[in-house]
Amino acid sequence: MRILTIACSLAALMAASPLAAQTLNVASAGDQNMVDYVKDYLGPMFEKANPGVKVVSVGTGAGDSGSQKIYEKLDAQKGSATTDFDVVVIHQKATGQMVKEGLLDKYTANVATAKLATGEAARNALGTDVSGFVIPMFQSQTALAYNADMVKAPPSTFAELADWAKKNPKQFGYNGIKGGMSGVSFVAGWVYAFGGDAEKLMKGPYDAATKTTWDKAFADLKEFNKVATITPGNAGTLDMLNRGEIAMGPVWVDMFYSWQADGKLPPNMKLKLISPGMPGQPMYYAVPAKAGQKKLAEAFIALATSPQVQADGIVKKFNWYPGIDAANLEGKLDKAAWDKLFVDVTPADLAKNGKAFPIAPYFNDILEGYEKKVSN
Amino acid sequence: MNLSQRHLGLILIAPGLMLVAALFLYPLGFSLVSAFSKDGSFTLEWFSKAFELYSTDIVFTVVIVVASCALTALAAIIIAGTLTLGENRYIVGTLRALYRWPLFIPFIVAAQCMRTFLAKNGLMNNTFVSMGLIEPLQAVSFLDWRGIIATFVWKQTPFVALLLAGALASIDRATLEAGRNLGASRVRVLFELALPQVMPTLMVALVLSFVTMLSVLSVPMMVSGSQPTMLTVDMAFRINAYGDYATANALGVITYLISAGAAILYLKRGLSEGAAR
Repeated sequence: MRILTIACSLAALMAASPLAAQTLNVASAGDQNMVDYVKDYLGPMFEKANPGVKVVSVGTGAGDSGSQKIYEKLDAQKGSATTDFDVVVIHQKATGQMVKEGLLDKYTANVATAKLATGEAARNALGTDVSGFVIPMFQSQTALAYNADMVKAPPSTFAELADWAKKNPKQFGYNGIKGGMSGVSFVAGWVYAFGGDAEKLMKGPYDAATKTTWDKAFADLKEFNKVATITPGNAGTLDMLNRGEIAMGPVWVDMFYSWQADGKLPPNMKLKLISPGMPGQPMYYAVPAKAGQKKLAEAFIALATSPQVQADGIVKKFNWYPGIDAANLEGKLDKAAWDKLFVDVTPADLAKNGKAFPIAPYFNDILEGYEKKVSN
Repeated sequence: MNLSQRHLGLILIAPGLMLVAALFLYPLGFSLVSAFSKDGSFTLEWFSKAFELYSTDIVFTVVIVVASCALTALAAIIIAGTLTLGENRYIVGTLRALYRWPLFIPFIVAAQCMRTFLAKNGLMNNTFVSMGLIEPLQAVSFLDWRGIIATFVWKQTPFVALLLAGALASIDRATLEAGRNLGASRVRVLFELALPQVMPTLMVALVLSFVTMLSVLSVPMMVSGSQPTMLTVDMAFRINAYGDYATANALGVITYLISAGAAILYLKRGLSEGAAR
């Protein structure tokens, strides 16, 4: 009898809940910090402002693979009335593909804060025109982290780095291309440095013959790998830096600062953005074409890209560069919090050596070339 | 058995069969087709791509799994042998209480533990250093192929040992005692009298372990860097980075063939033993 009562009330609860509350499903590609940002920071704030709304945050995994999973889900649900996700947070490569295949909603005209993001990243995702479909959540950048006690004179170019690694075997570590984007970024930077025309890789047009000119760069990288350590993942590189097992490695600037703030990295670690440059990327807020809660999704993104949230959440709490134009954050942020972002990597460094990833077809050529000529 | 009963039997197993067909045979057929076809016509393109990109990883996978199986067998024989033939009841009792624990720990948790345990400045090396066994500078990281093998052996040994100990407990003890009475050492009794009688069980346990280890993604992903790595990681990468199911399926077919190799070895042995009897 008691079981029956419980079952009945459970059934009643399940039947009633969709009426009582609206649920906004937010899917984020990327490392755990991305999921935490929505779950612990943005979600509760939005729930407070909109009583009766529940924000559910799911992570789909690090790197482009996380975005690929979101793509596959939206693609599989193309035929159904609504998709499971209302807001997606995605990488550039997958965004271009989703826009081309009509999986995203052209929503930014409905969101006032879209006007605050006017940079190149808001319009162009690795060669695809995405204006109207996305608002950048943040910009991030990769750079070399090094232990200043162990490395007195850090290299400032890729060529110097190759020499340094030869003299200090196994002291440089990166995570290959299968364990997250910091390794991918290092490989892309290597091809920019040694593979010829970097501008063409970032701007296009695509020419399938270009990849044959990278053979020497890949052969050198294979030699380089023999004196480097391959770490397990973005966090794996930071772990090994923390334990002193490697002295230098490519990391995401935001993860670096967050780990350092948590005491998970020694204070003597520093960053350096070496020339000719390493790629960084934005993450995008987008709304699937068949999202069930479009109005709510737009309100959520409007909050997420408002100057105050960008200042407090993106810059101050999570150490990313803002997704909307920096000028809009003036007055919302104390100078110390802003300067903290630029201690090791100055705005001048960023302007000179902060690159974009190559356009999607070159990007795939680089990854496959690496698998074919470096790791196999 | 009359006809209606036979029908009834078929109806009873129908749900199970449907489940196997829908959730296993259909996807299997689908991935086979995808591995061998391009735009509807037959091709070996995906296989040549798989070999071009991942030939090292294929060899690496086979070496890792075979080595892990061999070490697992050795460890399991030692444990099961001690449990069956051990005479010190404290050792036997402690071992009996402890050896099953890894069975209840998922691969991913084991991998995370190994990540901190086997690292260059990890728990194991730090312990050795503080005990004065090695100098800090001699410490090396085991987070590569050795780490994968260590995790696999740690995780699979209890499973094999459990089956083996069960089989050993059920053989006729008179033969073992006869061997002891005639002066054979316990090691000799184990290897010459007990083990030959339980060989089929050991083989089954090892073939099952072999297939399990082939299919684990979390351990190679978390424990070691990505070069070289196991085929599961490559399959995941093919799908996640490129959405390239065809090559991933070709790698899957190669994995089937490797595990089929183990199964054939096992079946052959079973058949020849059956014929001898």
